[in-house]
Amino acid sequence: MIAAIPHIDLQTVSYALAAVGLPLLASIITLLLPGKTEKLSGWISTGAILSSAVLAAIVFGRVWNHGAWHLQQLWFTIGNTNIHAGVLLNNLSVFMLLLVTVIALPVHIYSTAYIKPEEQKRYFTYLSFFCFSMLALVVVDSTILLYAFWELVGFSSYLLIGFWFTRDSAVQANKKAFIMNRIGDIGLLSAVIILFAQYHTFDLVQLFGPNGLVFKSTIQNGIWMSSTGQMPQVWQYVAFAGIFLAVAAKSAQFPLHTWLPDAMEGPTSVSALIHAATMVAAGVFLLGRVYPMFNEAELNVLAMVGCFTAFLAATIALTQNDLKRILAYSTISQLGYMIMAMGINAYASSLFHLATHAFFKCLLFLCAGVIIHEIHHIKEEHQLDVDAQDINLMGGLRKKMPLTFIATLIGCLALVGLPFTSGYLSKDGILIQAFEWAEGKSIWFKIIPISIFITSGITAFYVARLILKVFFGEFKLTAMLPNVHLHIGDGSWNFRIPLILLSLCSLFPLFSFNPFSYEHAWLFEGFKPGNVFSVESVYHLAIPISVSILSLVIAWWAFAVYIKQRRLVLSPNSFLFKLSFNHWYIDAFYKQIVVRGILLLSQALYWFDRTLIDGLINVLQQVTLFLSSLAAWTDRYLVDGFLHLVTLFVKGIGAFFRGFHSGRVQYYLFSMLAAVLAVFIIKLLI
Amino acid sequence: MITLTHYLLVSAGLFSIGIYIVLSKQNAIQVLIGVEMMLNAAILNLVAFGKFDKINNAGQTFALFAIVLAAASTAVALAIVLNVYRRHQTIDPGKINQLKD
Repeated sequence: MIAAIPHIDLQTVSYALAAVGLPLLASIITLLLPGKTEKLSGWISTGAILSSAVLAAIVFGRVWNHGAWHLQQLWFTIGNTNIHAGVLLNNLSVFMLLLVTVIALPVHIYSTAYIKPEEQKRYFTYLSFFCFSMLALVVVDSTILLYAFWELVGFSSYLLIGFWFTRDSAVQANKKAFIMNRIGDIGLLSAVIILFAQYHTFDLVQLFGPNGLVFKSTIQNGIWMSSTGQMPQVWQYVAFAGIFLAVAAKSAQFPLHTWLPDAMEGPTSVSALIHAATMVAAGVFLLGRVYPMFNEAELNVLAMVGCFTAFLAATIALTQNDLKRILAYSTISQLGYMIMAMGINAYASSLFHLATHAFFKCLLFLCAGVIIHEIHHIKEEHQLDVDAQDINLMGGLRKKMPLTFIATLIGCLALVGLPFTSGYLSKDGILIQAFEWAEGKSIWFKIIPISIFITSGITAFYVARLILKVFFGEFKLTAMLPNVHLHIGDGSWNFRIPLILLSLCSLFPLFSFNPFSYEHAWLFEGFKPGNVFSVESVYHLAIPISVSILSLVIAWWAFAVYIKQRRLVLSPNSFLFKLSFNHWYIDAFYKQIVVRGILLLSQALYWFDRTLIDGLINVLQQVTLFLSSLAAWTDRYLVDGFLHLVTLFVKGIGAFFRGFHSGRVQYYLFSMLAAVLAVFIIKLLI
Repeated sequence: MITLTHYLLVSAGLFSIGIYIVLSKQNAIQVLIGVEMMLNAAILNLVAFGKFDKINNAGQTFALFAIVLAAASTAVALAIVLNVYRRHQTIDPGKINQLKD
């Protein structure tokens, strides 16, 4: 351990470690709790995450804008390489630490009511473990540990997505999520290995810190040079590709985004956590950690992929009927914004948007959870065979669930990015910087800001569609059950408190006292590189106004379409509608080409194994059997036969001589006489 | 004139008859008689050759000893025959084959 650490440093680090460890402790305790204490498990986990949040807030207060605090200890040694493990607290990690705990807290409270009591023990074990993985991921200081917790986040999300494991669709979904994430893990692992091969260290501070090894390395004449070694330039791009793959898998970017909508099979509270601050944020966080290693071309790739994903997901969200799926696609879309913001050097805005998005997306999911919960109750009460998440069955809920309506409205306004919400600050910041970034570049780079601008419009439409279909018009289930009085409400206090809390956090005052300028948000200032001075361009005025006006016009259009029933929307039979409704056929493509291809390949390999390899072995076996039967025959008839012949001979001789032993005295005497006579006769003859 | 040859011929004939009796008879007493005849053939030879000895009548004397010994051995043989009969209820040498093995 480094000598002479100020006491306050040690205290802060131990607070951070406690904040990370408490959910793990809660997870273990809930796991070991005896049965019949289901309610208790929820409160243990909630208490742990509450303490974590308090500790994280203390740590945040001490570290934010006070530089990086780094504490490490020797972990193990292989050869001459010392591997250290430790904690790195800088603006990014304390921000994430606080964000994750603050988002997880309402989700925990909400879950105590949302999950059935008999399932709570298992649920909270998983949920606490998930929080632990994510919190550990953000504070660790080496790429090895980062990778380990990256995997753990994937694993615990697998457990949570497949929480209702008796449903086939949930099992399929968690398998899909897990496999997609494995693809990303391979990318991250290869990137970690390449970085180690180049820089001989796993330490994030040494690698990416100020004046770190990455800053000093250069690319000259196709050789990637650093103070510790050199290798061909292509490896730098391979490392980037690995990181990109990892980010695309965790943060659901094209082409690995398809697991996220399927992950809606998990409980809604889990979706809220995964989609807001933990799992999907891990990708953006990773980008933030390794940001210095990207060069101009690589950043452009990030920008393009992010922009395309944002557009793709927004168009798909337009036609979906499943309440949670719409939100899932909007998450993918917003993550696309963040990745694109990273790509256009809007590092601070990207993380700012991550924070604001975490709050309003968590809020939206929790609202969706309340609605689904209520509809589900009606479904069970009246034995209806309907999909509880289908927005076509909802409508007019604003009178029955006023709090949920207001909360959803705030969340949606933030998602669209209208003034006075947190979304306005962060999203418009990204848009403005996108336009500024494209300024002075070739015409092709203009596509990115323009398409992201269009995406904002699309976002406004699907959000308006969601609100209108769910909260306005007539409640469709009433039409199905005309004689029944339906009981629907906002639910218990466990539902209300998280909604109120998150609604307040989705408004502007938490982030900035000036509701119109993202540059004055304290979060933005905390991440802004010091030497950048703000450029007063025309975009700062034009973009927010035009986006807001566009959004309002589109919302009005949606109102006209869905409430006044004017025919202005694409017909369900048109190509574009089908393209959007079927998720651009990406899933179908994966299923038809990739999955079937792999299955066919494995079948072919199976056939090869069965027919050729096993066949070869069978032939070998037949040959061996034949040879051994030949040997057995030889042994039996030749070797044994010879021996039998010998014994037969000996036996014959024996029998012959035994014949002389008659036992009769006279016979013996006769033989004696004959022998004597024979001797005499022979004597005479010779 | 009776020469040594005549003695020897009688002795050989006696011996041959004795051998024949020993080999062919089915009664142990008869076999014993055959043995006595062979013994007497040998004693006859002893007496006949005694004529050419330097010491007078040594052959006759020796023959007397031999006859006494033959009588003793015959007594023993008869005792054996008696015991054989007790055990096997027969004195046919062809039926007593327990000497084998």
